[in-house]
Amino acid sequence: MKTRVTNKIIMLSVNILFVTLTPALAFAMDSGACLDCHGDAGVVGDKLVIEALGFDSTAHAELGCHSCHASITADHPDDGLPPSRAGCAECHDPVSREYAASLHAENAGCSDCHNPHRALGPTAVSGHDMNRQCMACHDRPDMVALHGEWLPQADLHISMLPCITCHSSSAEYVISLYLIKRQGGQYPGGLELASHAELSAIAGGRPIEQLIDRNADNYVSLAELRMFNLDPENKQLRLQGMITPEGVSHDFRSRDDRWDCSFCHASGPAARQVSFLSLVEPDGSFKRVAVEQGAVLDALYGTPDFYMVGSTRSTALNYVGLVILAGGLVMPIGHGTLRILTRKNRRHEEK
Amino acid sequence: MSKIKIYLQPTPVRIWHWLNALGIITLCITAVQIRFPEHVHLFASYKSAILLHNVAGLVVTFSFSLWFVYYAVISRSLFKVYLPSKDDLEHGLARQAKFYLLTYFLGWKNPHHATPDNKFNPMQKSAYLAIMFILVPLVSLTGLLLTNVSPMRDLVLLVGGLKILIALHFLLACCLCAFLFTHVYLATLGKTPLEHIKPMWTGWEEEEETEESPRHAA
Repeated sequence: MKTRVTNKIIMLSVNILFVTLTPALAFAMDSGACLDCHGDAGVVGDKLVIEALGFDSTAHAELGCHSCHASITADHPDDGLPPSRAGCAECHDPVSREYAASLHAENAGCSDCHNPHRALGPTAVSGHDMNRQCMACHDRPDMVALHGEWLPQADLHISMLPCITCHSSSAEYVISLYLIKRQGGQYPGGLELASHAELSAIAGGRPIEQLIDRNADNYVSLAELRMFNLDPENKQLRLQGMITPEGVSHDFRSRDDRWDCSFCHASGPAARQVSFLSLVEPDGSFKRVAVEQGAVLDALYGTPDFYMVGSTRSTALNYVGLVILAGGLVMPIGHGTLRILTRKNRRHEEK
Repeated sequence: MSKIKIYLQPTPVRIWHWLNALGIITLCITAVQIRFPEHVHLFASYKSAILLHNVAGLVVTFSFSLWFVYYAVISRSLFKVYLPSKDDLEHGLARQAKFYLLTYFLGWKNPHHATPDNKFNPMQKSAYLAIMFILVPLVSLTGLLLTNVSPMRDLVLLVGGLKILIALHFLLACCLCAFLFTHVYLATLGKTPLEHIKPMWTGWEEEEETEESPRHAA
């Protein structure tokens, strides 16, 4: 009796597994077939082309094309039927509801910001690309002028922060370090994110992470950061730091603590311990390598171009400053004491 | 012995001095909140401390220009007043140091006698030379770069990066602040604590007449 029940449970489990996995396997196969045509602009045109390299690294690619385009038949496109499109809310319901309640929802739908064939998690997108999404509608010069009405160095803030650092309520923020390169020897300016191909060429065949992670232990120490920044061979590259959110909310409100600058600048060095080296992949997504805790607080060469006034100050420099100030007090205190002790000498007529 | 009055500090110099003093004190106070915002809350918000610091920095830079134009262009005495002479370097420095560190305590007279053409003793000249020709210009320049990082990014990189610029600005500012303590203290070393401070406010210094007293004294 017991054996019969066990057998039934096993059979049921196998059935469930079969029912669950069969569509996934079919879609996985279908995705390849779809991309045979949709991966070639010459076949489907610019509007319908999907870059296979970029699509493959998305979570959507793992689900397969049929997950969102369920109506497509084996006769597509000869059947003449328009392919169905799944609504984002079908899978991303909590995010959709949060977004629908935001002011932003009146002006843009999901696909206005997110290309579903290029949808990546926030840690796989560079801060620069995040801002490119926003600036498709919010013109950069207009945004610099608007923020400049109250924000000191608005241009710098907009360059060094993804918009969603202040306009969403992620619970956690980290410092992401990107490799930038002067493009075409252009002065002034011209410092832009280096592409994977450019970094590969500079790395001379080594994996690009070894430009900084010299011992290839998938961890960047402060010593390695200093070596990278001081090595004359890397003079065309620089590390640019940005404060990036770990998770992204879709309410898109300006947080109150961002208006008075306290969130970033008055949080103290304890809040600026976590940073990652964000490296571009061949498909344009980013992977992260952990960096030693507190490396961005190094006085000079850890991250020479990343400094957040107030919260990434160097303790070593504080002590040097204190010694200098104490030196300035030697005369008033030392001389002043002797002056009081010898005051009688100056009561008589001067010699 | 009769007393005479010497016009020691002309009006532009006094305006520069007190503008500078106000600016530098404001810079020092706001700087403490800017560097240690989680511990110091002297001003209403972090942004107000930053804005005040930036404005005070511009005031000091402007007053520095006023000082430079007055001495270099109008009175044409910049180097005469601030550059130590050969005698200052060979004997004056040691003589003045001996006074501050020894003979002052014995009640001896200051070996330097201030006149409009020779306002500073050799130690003052050397200190002011370093401060006015190196420290203040460097602090002002690094400060100007720090308030305009984006448009002057290439200049920042030329210096070696933002961290080096900040370190320079911070350490040079600490040196200026340290000098301020010594400067204020030494200003009280006259026969009365206010004897050297009054002329910087009124322009006139009162002193006993000697054979060396300047002819254009009032």
